[in-house]
Amino acid sequence: MSTGTRPYYVPVGKEELVFNAAYRQGLSILLKGPTGCGKTRFVEAMAFDLDRPLVTVACHDDLTTADLVGRFLLHGGDTSWVDGPLTRAVREGSICYLDEIVEARQDTTVVLHPLADHRRQMPIDRLGVTLEAAPGFGLVVSYNPGYQSVLKDLKDSTRQRMVAIELDFPPADVEEKVVAHEAGVDAGTAAQLVRLGQAIRQLETAGLREVASTRVLIAAARLVTEGLNLHDAARAAVAGPLTDDPLITAGLHEMIDAYLVEPGGPPPVR
Amino acid sequence: MVRSAGNPARLALVASAVAGRPVQVAAAGTGALAWTDGATVFVDTSLSTGDQICALAVQAALLGAGSLEPEVLRPLGRRPSLARRYLAVEGQRVLARRRDLLPPAVWLLLDGTAAGRSSSPAESLAVALSRAAVGEPPELFGVIGPRRVVVAPGPPGDAGASRHVPWRSRGTQPARLEEEEGADVVARDLFSSPVGGGGGLGRVLKKMFGDGRSSASGPPGADSPTRLSRRAAGVARSVTVSSAVAAVPGDTTGWKPVGLQYPEWDANRGCYRPDWCTVIETDPPPAGVPLALPDTHRLRQALARLGTELERRHRQLQGDDVDVDAAVEARVQALAESTPDEAVYIESVRQRRQLSVLVLLDVSGSAGLPSASGAPVHEHQRAAAAALAVTLAGSGDRVALYSFRSQGRSAVHVLPVKRFADDMDALVLARLGGLVPGAYTRLGAAVRHSAAVIERDGGTARRLLVVLSDGLAYDHGYESAYGEADARRALAEARRQGIGCMCVSVGAGTDAETLRRVFGTSAYASIPDGEHLPAVVGPLVRSALRSAELRRRAWQRRARTAERHFIERRTA
Repeated sequence: MSTGTRPYYVPVGKEELVFNAAYRQGLSILLKGPTGCGKTRFVEAMAFDLDRPLVTVACHDDLTTADLVGRFLLHGGDTSWVDGPLTRAVREGSICYLDEIVEARQDTTVVLHPLADHRRQMPIDRLGVTLEAAPGFGLVVSYNPGYQSVLKDLKDSTRQRMVAIELDFPPADVEEKVVAHEAGVDAGTAAQLVRLGQAIRQLETAGLREVASTRVLIAAARLVTEGLNLHDAARAAVAGPLTDDPLITAGLHEMIDAYLVEPGGPPPVR
Repeated sequence: MVRSAGNPARLALVASAVAGRPVQVAAAGTGALAWTDGATVFVDTSLSTGDQICALAVQAALLGAGSLEPEVLRPLGRRPSLARRYLAVEGQRVLARRRDLLPPAVWLLLDGTAAGRSSSPAESLAVALSRAAVGEPPELFGVIGPRRVVVAPGPPGDAGASRHVPWRSRGTQPARLEEEEGADVVARDLFSSPVGGGGGLGRVLKKMFGDGRSSASGPPGADSPTRLSRRAAGVARSVTVSSAVAAVPGDTTGWKPVGLQYPEWDANRGCYRPDWCTVIETDPPPAGVPLALPDTHRLRQALARLGTELERRHRQLQGDDVDVDAAVEARVQALAESTPDEAVYIESVRQRRQLSVLVLLDVSGSAGLPSASGAPVHEHQRAAAAALAVTLAGSGDRVALYSFRSQGRSAVHVLPVKRFADDMDALVLARLGGLVPGAYTRLGAAVRHSAAVIERDGGTARRLLVVLSDGLAYDHGYESAYGEADARRALAEARRQGIGCMCVSVGAGTDAETLRRVFGTSAYASIPDGEHLPAVVGPLVRSALRSAELRRRAWQRRARTAERHFIERRTA
């Protein structure tokens, strides 16, 4: 809730406007964007602005309907019902955020349909009741369209119940600000890491499944804050997580050596 | 290979980042200026790393900005001094354009005033053609060699774009721009890469793997290690012997062939010829320029759901629902004062499919023929093989990728591009990139060997053999009807072992009747290019696995019946 400070998020387009408008109209929101571009942080910031509690569910491929809605457990000779995170959000009027929704099984996402359209209801067949969503309830799902391990797409019937907001890696100047703020490094270091990240993003067709996200750049910068030098930090936080392939790792190390200058920043333009 | 610190191929990612598309890097001779052939940048490895990066960044930026397109280069062809003026103007332009993506060391080459003179390759050319004063380009800018730039490298993302096309090694030479002999760039051609297809080593490899009689065949019976194949089929007993192979002069790859003998079906006599073919499984083929990582999104969608049904498991410790029977029992147990069983839930879980796949790629000479779309059939097949292997490996299946060609019955060469135990990495794509079609197609022996490999190394209940071939079974003494019958027979044997067989012909113009005679009742499809693969692959795999399962059961049933009859006769 609104105690504490607002999670740091710099808007790069109209995403905040669209989010607020959709939330006020009771529409569900679909966030699209590559891994580590700030989808989760964006939702946190919006929940702070709207002063609603945020319930986050990280979806995985064994996530069942019962994991979202709730289930009966046995206590001695009796059964007792335990709400799942989605049911809790519906009852309390929280914002429910389903991260990486396509990871969940398709039969699971169908439970969202009556919630995501004009009905805003959640039938719980195990209890034989239908819950009306409390005022303030909002449904936000995110997914990564280019995600290579995705074996299935989102169902069209699910997609069409949502308002889509497309996010991407921020432009270089914004990303430098974000890296500097999140990790507490100076602007020169942030600029160097961002340039490396931008260069790696050119490699999408050259053998990398995923490119360097804002998240890994921040991780590298945080290692620098702890006293590591730039090259070691980038090797550990950027090259290592991106690939296991020895050839590509060697190539990334060459890129790190080529793009990062120790210390003080890049040479001046002649 | 590309692991040593001084190897310029390590810099390929830097070059690709600057160009914005896949670019390879290879060594130019000492003292040579950097140049590119449209897919590979050649740099002098005796320079410092910083200078190498500067030199390749300029060439890569030129490639990425379209500065080396044929219409721009045509006027430069016969005029080296004009090419230098163009390079000086255009080099500055492209560096300034990509400034934010350049390694900082390259910024030292930037000249802010020169960069503003032009905003497109055509304008740079106009400046170069004009009388305006243009300084000499810095040494690190390298040189533009119009004669050596292969026309139309293709759009980014195209599998062909990332491939180095060594023009001297190709049967059909790509169109090249003419350049006057004796121009300054010709002298530097002496320094071109020794490892490319046109270089010394490349020619040796070409001789070894290419068309013409292979010298790497030999009689069985020498003293290499002996192995026994574990084929379960009740056909002729397959004995394994070793074979020694005469050393190839200049052979640097260290072949350690092991000969395995397989029977062959003689359709004329209606019986098997035992131990008729010798299959030699070689070392992995040498790495070439890696294929680009294929886009497998649609293929994944087609293959992801096969064999992964939901299963409801009763009496689990956790689950979505209470298992009423188990709960009642547990309650009774508790009331009877014994310890109740706590596993009282029903869980629905998705089964993991237990699948191992061997992709068998035909690299015989006929695959080198052009397809309807122009590109050789081999390239279509190779791209399809890469896409299938990457997709299946990504879905957690066990995958192997072998290629084969033959030179008569005593030399059926099977080249392991990826064995079951190997990782699916860039090396596999590089080996695929290095395959050159040649020789003939003794399909039956290759299929029998592949079936034996799956049987030995697959290790899963479901097994699948994918044959990528143009369907032209042809070798010495393996002509038309005879070869087709043997290939058909071999596939049927594999199915009887419970190995699903699917055959795909990509881009080949083989008629449907021939394909039907070769592939028999295996699941097969003929598609014009890899784009159509996702559409056919799902039904093919499903049908192949199902028919293999049925045949395996039927065969087991017959075997059990025969055994029972045998016992009954003996006891009677």
